[in-house]
Amino acid sequence: MMKRVMIVGFLFVGVLLISFPTYSQDIPIGFFAPLTGFAASDGRAAKNGVELGVSIVNDAGGIKGRKVKLIVYDDRHDSKEAVAIANRLIEKDNVVAVVSGSYSMPTRVTAPIFQKGKIPMVAGYAVHPDIVKGGNYVFRNGCLGEVEGAAAANVAVKLLKAKRNAVLTMDNDFGTELSRGYVARVEKLGAQIVSHQVYKLGEKDFTPFLTKTKEANPEVIFTSGYYNEAALVSRQAKALGIKAQILGEEGFDSPKFLEIGGDAAEGVIFVCLLNRDDPRPEVQNFLKKYKQAYGMDSEMCATTSYDAFMIIAKAIERSEPKPEAIRQAIATMKDIPGLLGKVKEFNEIGESKKPVQVQIVKGGQFRFFAEVTDPEVITPPSK
Amino acid sequence: MIFQQIANGLAMGSIYSLIALGLTMIYGVLGILHIAHAGIYALGAYLGLLCFRFVPNFWVAMAMAMILCAAAGWVVQRYLYQPLLKLPRIVPLIASIGLFIALEEIYRLIAGPYVIPFPADPGFKGIQIGNIQITNQQFLVFIVTFILLSFLWFIMNRTRTGLAMKATFQDMEIASVMGVNVPRTVALNFLIGSSLAGAAGVLVGVFYNSVYPTMGSIPAYKALAIIVLGGLGSIPGTVLGAFFIGLSETLLIGVVQVPFPRDALAFIIMILVLMFRPYGILGKG
Repeated sequence: MMKRVMIVGFLFVGVLLISFPTYSQDIPIGFFAPLTGFAASDGRAAKNGVELGVSIVNDAGGIKGRKVKLIVYDDRHDSKEAVAIANRLIEKDNVVAVVSGSYSMPTRVTAPIFQKGKIPMVAGYAVHPDIVKGGNYVFRNGCLGEVEGAAAANVAVKLLKAKRNAVLTMDNDFGTELSRGYVARVEKLGAQIVSHQVYKLGEKDFTPFLTKTKEANPEVIFTSGYYNEAALVSRQAKALGIKAQILGEEGFDSPKFLEIGGDAAEGVIFVCLLNRDDPRPEVQNFLKKYKQAYGMDSEMCATTSYDAFMIIAKAIERSEPKPEAIRQAIATMKDIPGLLGKVKEFNEIGESKKPVQVQIVKGGQFRFFAEVTDPEVITPPSK
Repeated sequence: MIFQQIANGLAMGSIYSLIALGLTMIYGVLGILHIAHAGIYALGAYLGLLCFRFVPNFWVAMAMAMILCAAAGWVVQRYLYQPLLKLPRIVPLIASIGLFIALEEIYRLIAGPYVIPFPADPGFKGIQIGNIQITNQQFLVFIVTFILLSFLWFIMNRTRTGLAMKATFQDMEIASVMGVNVPRTVALNFLIGSSLAGAAGVLVGVFYNSVYPTMGSIPAYKALAIIVLGGLGSIPGTVLGAFFIGLSETLLIGVVQVPFPRDALAFIIMILVLMFRPYGILGKG
């Protein structure tokens, strides 16, 4: 009996010791992304991007002499998991800021938590509007959903001269926001939506939707989806003999799209935020470093998350590693550094304005197609 | 256009039938709901992909996957279900679910959580019949299903083995008394059922160019709905049920545009069938 009490006693003390935070000079910054599950490829890219940023900063001596410690969590694209992670980052890991490398849904549910905990969060690429409405501690580096959708509409109607547009919406935060922006802008520009269908995230068989779309004889099919859906829609549309141009969005921006889509990916156009042909040295350097470090090409999730981290790093440099100071520094930052293009500043609610890139798949690679700079389209709402 | 949708639906139905057949055969003979069958299906996709890496021929990969899955099915039967046969039916059911979950995780740990493409080209081109475009993938599905179902029909109806299997379905004890080698027949059921699942796995992997650890999740439940619809233990019933579900899903999405997610439809249909015809389309009491 005594022996049992002693063992339990030791275990108890041991657990207590392990759970004490270790004192260190490092600056703790939190990060979460879907590292497993269907979104794993994007999550991993985001993680790679941020870790590359951290190593660049730390190799240059850290921020004000202190190294950055990145605390990484896998949210598995599950809202319950994301909430638990947010609470943990605030209470146990004592982070001073957070980068969200995750999709809209986990980012959106954690925004109010970070706001309440007064920890600034910069969302790398999540698109849902409610994210920044979490409060003045939440900022979005990426593109607002409806802005991106509207930019796609500009591409369809102005660049591709399409009068007849079909829409295939993925039924979640991301998909519906993008389609909403697209439909509104297409109609504003005077073109037609000849077919609009909604499919569930994770759908694999698009033949019923595409057959119906084919009937409506569109010139452009705007598809909101992640890389799996993008690849399958492209393949199945091609197999069904659909000649319409497939127009996508940032979910298409992944080497997995090229891998799974195969030769059906050729010629697909999509709006996103990364221009791989951007001549600026910081972009090309990053792309090269990323390829060296990870053996694969960078993608939008990696570059946007990297940018989000760099914004936080710059903010800490200009102020101090305390959450309130960081928030203030981000909110008042002018000419924000970014691989995505010159961003002037964050507006009152935390959105940023930047041109939307349009890439096309040519020769199995993502190449520059166009850039949308129409201020009517790219200016996000300020309330 | 509706004919095109029908073609789409038949392709889905074919795939479902290959998955569900194994499940119904195993239920028919052992009374066990072999949920892990969906794990064998996913295994087929992975093994097929692996074989394809060594021998880049679709048909070889398919054949290998079928053989290896048959073996896997036999192992499951011999070492998981057989020892549990004397216990109440719920025990092997739980074991089966446990195995299924374990398999998904094993695939994830070995092959990674990502979707892996399966770029096998079976060498068909799509064909166009009038206004209907049958994609090369759909064509492949039809051909493979037709071959396998014909084979199965032949075994069940024109061989003594098939007769023995039908007898075992009806009543295991009496069949054994009548001289049927029941353990061998049970094993054969698993071999055939699992190889069909393996074939389905390869087909789906190629059809969608996607192999991933959780690819068995939806088929696990959907196949269940299908065999209930068709009548537990009835092979023709299951085939009918599979095509019915495949067609309904496609037509309800493509033509009527029902706002339910496609996977819910199978279960709604199952509930309706259970309410009005609890034994399924061709089930017996």
